[in-house]
Amino acid sequence: MSDRKLPRLLQTPAVLLLLVWMLIPLGITLYFSFIRYVLNSLRHPEWTSPSLSNWRGFGNYQFVLNSKDFLLAIQNSLFIVCSILFLTVILGVLIAVLINKSFPGQGIVRVLLISPFFVMPAVNAVLWINMILDPVLGLQGIAVGGINDILDGMRTMPVLGGFFSLWPEFEPISFRATQTSAIAVIMMVTWQWTPFAVLIFMTSLQSEDQQQKEAATLDGAGTWSQFRFLTLPHLGRPIAIVVMIQAIFHLSLYAEIEIVSRGNGNKNLPYLIGEFANNNIGAASATGIFAVILANIVAIFLLRMVGKTLME
Amino acid sequence: MGRIVLDKVTKSFGETQVIPPLDLTIENGEFTVFVGPSGCGKSTLLRMIAGLEDLTSGNILIDGEDATEVPPSKRGLAMVFQSYALYPHMTVRKNIGFPLRMEKMSQAEIDERVEAAAKSLNLVDYLDRKPGQLSGGQRQRVAIGRAIVRDPSAFLFDEPLSNLDAALRVGMRLEISEMHERMQTTMIYVTHDQVEAMTMADRIVVLQAGVIEQVGTPLELYHKPQNVFVAGFIGSPKMNIFSGPEAEKHGAATIGIRPEHTDVSMSEGTWKGTVGVAEHLGSDTFIHVHNTGLADMITVRISGDISVKHGDTIYLTPQAEQIHKFDAQGLRIE
Repeated sequence: MSDRKLPRLLQTPAVLLLLVWMLIPLGITLYFSFIRYVLNSLRHPEWTSPSLSNWRGFGNYQFVLNSKDFLLAIQNSLFIVCSILFLTVILGVLIAVLINKSFPGQGIVRVLLISPFFVMPAVNAVLWINMILDPVLGLQGIAVGGINDILDGMRTMPVLGGFFSLWPEFEPISFRATQTSAIAVIMMVTWQWTPFAVLIFMTSLQSEDQQQKEAATLDGAGTWSQFRFLTLPHLGRPIAIVVMIQAIFHLSLYAEIEIVSRGNGNKNLPYLIGEFANNNIGAASATGIFAVILANIVAIFLLRMVGKTLME
Repeated sequence: MGRIVLDKVTKSFGETQVIPPLDLTIENGEFTVFVGPSGCGKSTLLRMIAGLEDLTSGNILIDGEDATEVPPSKRGLAMVFQSYALYPHMTVRKNIGFPLRMEKMSQAEIDERVEAAAKSLNLVDYLDRKPGQLSGGQRQRVAIGRAIVRDPSAFLFDEPLSNLDAALRVGMRLEISEMHERMQTTMIYVTHDQVEAMTMADRIVVLQAGVIEQVGTPLELYHKPQNVFVAGFIGSPKMNIFSGPEAEKHGAATIGIRPEHTDVSMSEGTWKGTVGVAEHLGSDTFIHVHNTGLADMITVRISGDISVKHGDTIYLTPQAEQIHKFDAQGLRIE
């Protein structure tokens, strides 16, 4: 046996296990996506068990592409992921810079800041949609009601009353509606994941070289210039990492969407898969393959971006 | 332009006073070195001049104007840090041009001045590299370039050579000295290495525990140390300092004699001892002499080579006019 064969042979079980782990689910999904396979059908009982005799070719893919929700789901997936990334990175950097300064109670503030990350996604969604965003009973409803009450009071004032009576009543927004449910999801996930960004950015800020900042002070750089030319480039790498990890996680959001509006006006690919999987396994599998393709496209972009910053 | 006056400057961190009231004048164009053991406050003093550290009390005057409350960037001083403190994400060109960019200078003028600085520091070939791709000496040069472009009224160096290897350090020492000759700008240089201080300085300020022990030219410090601390600190190898009956013979509480001012004989002399380690450097020989009854060990320095072995008996004779005498307070007696 040559020198190389033994190590290869010893690696084989691990490599095989990994391949099986990956390829079998993918293979089954591919197989299901090319056959007619439903869980329950009175007219076609033969479709209820997977079999090559039910071959449908690209029929499932065509069916998914033609379904009215598919384009919405892709758009929504990207919209939700990009919005969350944008918000968490900006909020994360700002909060991290803010709490990086020393102040009394720093330890407690940091722990409190991290805590949203420990809330379960479903609990997070229930809390937000019922207690904060609800137009009647939530904080939003109470706040809007309060403002309207104050406005009412001002309308009865002697001189200025006329001016305030020109103002309209404020209407609370229903976040379970078709147009707004995606916004609600973005808000709650941003709330939950900003701590993650803060945590990563904060550790990075603590490793920032203070002498560089002193040199910049002497060079005439103000606070903003120091942030722009020193801190932000220093955070390039952690930002890339936060973006990559979050993109992978948020492409598969499900609980929040289910709880906010049960997919009403706000589906992403995983949710669409879930809907199809109620009965039509073939179509769900085809959607799954689309999701794999979308995730790969996003991943290639992200890996390029992260790779570029890591190469520097 | 660049006369710096420290007027009753003090610095405390909390309860601890690291610099008791201190007065010092640094003349325009002078190369001043602050030297002292670690923790003597020399870096703190430099940072106070730079404005990176607030004064607890006292005033700093730059060119006759009170600069105590002036922000660091407006003092017209440039500083070179021990860690170089280059901006890692910028090329050498951008690093050197950064202070000019902050002054909102036009791009053409920035380019011109950066090129000129790079040329004088042999950095032209490296302008488009990043600091991570440079060697220690090149980084140090970039840091100096970043200071030069600002055309400051004084340069502040905070142990700039301590991260370099020995050979490079000697080279950079010469370069900085030559830079000073060329530009004739005030320079304040902090180091714990007395060799750097002796070779570069016009004037040396010896500090201990925040107190100035002596200010003078390198040779003044060498020939006329004001007290025992300066005597022991300046000179390499260290001066032999001892007290006791031998010192009383010279009418002093403590006397000191430099290793190079002691004559050696194998047969006769004032003091008798046994040879410990002999360090043969070729040009010089350092002999560590034990059992003299004066101090644990006396070092002598002989020009050229001498054949002595460990355990040999040796006689030492101090050159009478080179003996430094100090009183009970450790102050020099003339």
